Amino acid sequence: MGHGRYIDPFLERRPDYVIGQGEQLSLEFVILPGEDRSIDLGIDLAGEGASLDVKIVYLSGYSEKVDIKLLVHHRAGGCSSQQRIFGIASGSAQVGFYGKVVTAPDAQKTEASQLNRNILLSDAAQVRTLPQLEIYADDVKCSHGATIGRLNEDELFYMRSRGIPEAEARALQMLSFLSPVVPEGQQERIEAAVRSILPA
Amino acid sequence: MAEDRIIDKITSGEYKEGFVTDVEQDLLPKGLNEDIIREISRRKEEPSWLLDFRLDAFRRWQKMPMPDWAQLDMPRIDFQDIIYFAAPKKDKDRPKEIDPALAQTFDKLGIPLNEREVLAGVVAVDAVFDSVSVTTTFRKTLSEKGIIFCSFSEAVREHPDLVRKYLASVVPPSDNFFAALNSAVFSDGSFCYIPKGVRCPMELSSYFRINARGTGQFERTLIVADEGSYVSYMEGCTAPMRDEQQLHAAVVEIVVEKDADVKYSTVQNWYPGDAEGRGGILNLVTKRGICKGSGSHLSWTQVETGSAITWKYPSTILKGDNSSSEFYSVAVTNNLQQADTGTKMIHLGRGTRSRIVSKGISAGRSQNSYRGLVRMGAGAQGARNYSQCDSLLIGSLCGAHTFPDIVSHNSSATVEHEATTSKISEDQLYYCAQRGIDPEEAVGLIVNGYAREVLSRLPMEFAVEARKLLQVSLEGSVG
Repeated sequence: MGHGRYIDPFLERRPDYVIGQGEQLSLEFVILPGEDRSIDLGIDLAGEGASLDVKIVYLSGYSEKVDIKLLVHHRAGGCSSQQRIFGIASGSAQVGFYGKVVTAPDAQKTEASQLNRNILLSDAAQVRTLPQLEIYADDVKCSHGATIGRLNEDELFYMRSRGIPEAEARALQMLSFLSPVVPEGQQERIEAAVRSILPA
Repeated sequence: MAEDRIIDKITSGEYKEGFVTDVEQDLLPKGLNEDIIREISRRKEEPSWLLDFRLDAFRRWQKMPMPDWAQLDMPRIDFQDIIYFAAPKKDKDRPKEIDPALAQTFDKLGIPLNEREVLAGVVAVDAVFDSVSVTTTFRKTLSEKGIIFCSFSEAVREHPDLVRKYLASVVPPSDNFFAALNSAVFSDGSFCYIPKGVRCPMELSSYFRINARGTGQFERTLIVADEGSYVSYMEGCTAPMRDEQQLHAAVVEIVVEKDADVKYSTVQNWYPGDAEGRGGILNLVTKRGICKGSGSHLSWTQVETGSAITWKYPSTILKGDNSSSEFYSVAVTNNLQQADTGTKMIHLGRGTRSRIVSKGISAGRSQNSYRGLVRMGAGAQGARNYSQCDSLLIGSLCGAHTFPDIVSHNSSATVEHEATTSKISEDQLYYCAQRGIDPEEAVGLIVNGYAREVLSRLPMEFAVEARKLLQVSLEGSVG
């Protein structure tokens, strides 16, 4: 039976990754200060039980343009996908995120989650986020979340009252914010990057 | 018990407002051109500035393309095949009285045109039948407090300065295709002005009824709450069952001055079309308010169960410092209904706050989308937004979609958006079945629980009505 508005998102473009039955794909990206970056990925979960894990961290503190586009298609049932895109924008960086999750009519038992969290450290920087869910199957658990915010002042106060200098406290806050998406072995690079974009 | 009555109503379950009132009608010929607009304006005895406003809007509209960005399969609308003005003929002998056939119509719809107390107190009603307002009740009581509540046409005649000052100040004619069309041909709607420091003693309500075949309804509503005032305004609507689709393109503008508080509630129950998707209302509406002064507050609550197509984004511009706004919505689609609805919160002032709670329910072969925009402007120091959009799917042939757009230009602002999509769990249904509740009723219970956060925001009369509607709308969606 035809289904209202559903259109296979990979009719007009080819997916960059196709995940087959029972396969797992894990993607990690680190975008460092000074780097203009455009990521545009199409991922097709084509076989039953396929799973996807995407982690993206960005740190932008100058006048970078960061543009992240993800298109995740749950073609087959019983697949799971998780996307986490965390980052910090300072200086006059322009960050855009567009993340679309499409669940095909027959992709029952789909579990999809997407979380885009952004910290804006300066008024000249800008973050725009467009998380999109298109769901055409009913027995699914799909969610997305997006936040744009600032560093918590209470946490900062707590650390300062224990003698941690302000810059150090802010760096710690940022590191803890990013920690869920920092790939293994990248800890030191991220730490250096965080300190480099701290507002004076 | 009210509960028993509700359940009785569910089991009967068809669109009970689908009847046609047989009154003699005064119709303009089909089609849209400058002469038609001049004729509408002439019949309404409008001043020349308003005719110029209409013509200017019409010229802009002619240059605009019909928007196609929504997640909707919009039928082609032939704008020359619509009657733009339909009014029940007035009986010349007693022009002060309401035609008994019209009074009966509204009575059948449960809308009291004589001033009597309803369920939980007093409600003043402005009843609009096709293109004209039939009557407005409790005007005297309200005018004692300086409150103006009348049809838009009357406001143009009696309070031209107020209308001229505020008309199109929130939704300019060039805003979008349907707002431009409305600005050119709007017929009637409500006008409401609450003076400084006045707390409106009763709920104000507009009831819109489409009756004539082949017509479109172009309502225009303007609400102005002056400094420190308060008003709660409700809007309801129904239409007959017909095989062809009819157009409803309204514009609602709300101006909230310093420290004023406006609560706007809608129960939208236009005819949704039949199970095969024949007929129904195309509900293409622009609603927007501005929290102009500091500390002002605007709250939108909507229950959308009707219409073949809903295209509606009640929005707030938070201009005044520390102003706040909320959007609470339940949108139900069944059969072949399509809804693309949500809100926009534009934060401009310092310390502005907004909250969005949207509950979508799709059943049958329907498509239900939430579309929203939250924008934190450069001046929105310390502004705050929280959005929660949930979708519930009933059956495997429907679709539920979420399209938020979040932009921040301010490092001290905080925006949070959260959305989930799921179905009614087997556990919940099983639990109800164990207690002897049949599946259809169980779904009704669960849906009402799911939508409670929004329903509890509605004024009493509306809440009862909305609960019934939710159940009727989902009739036949289980099993």
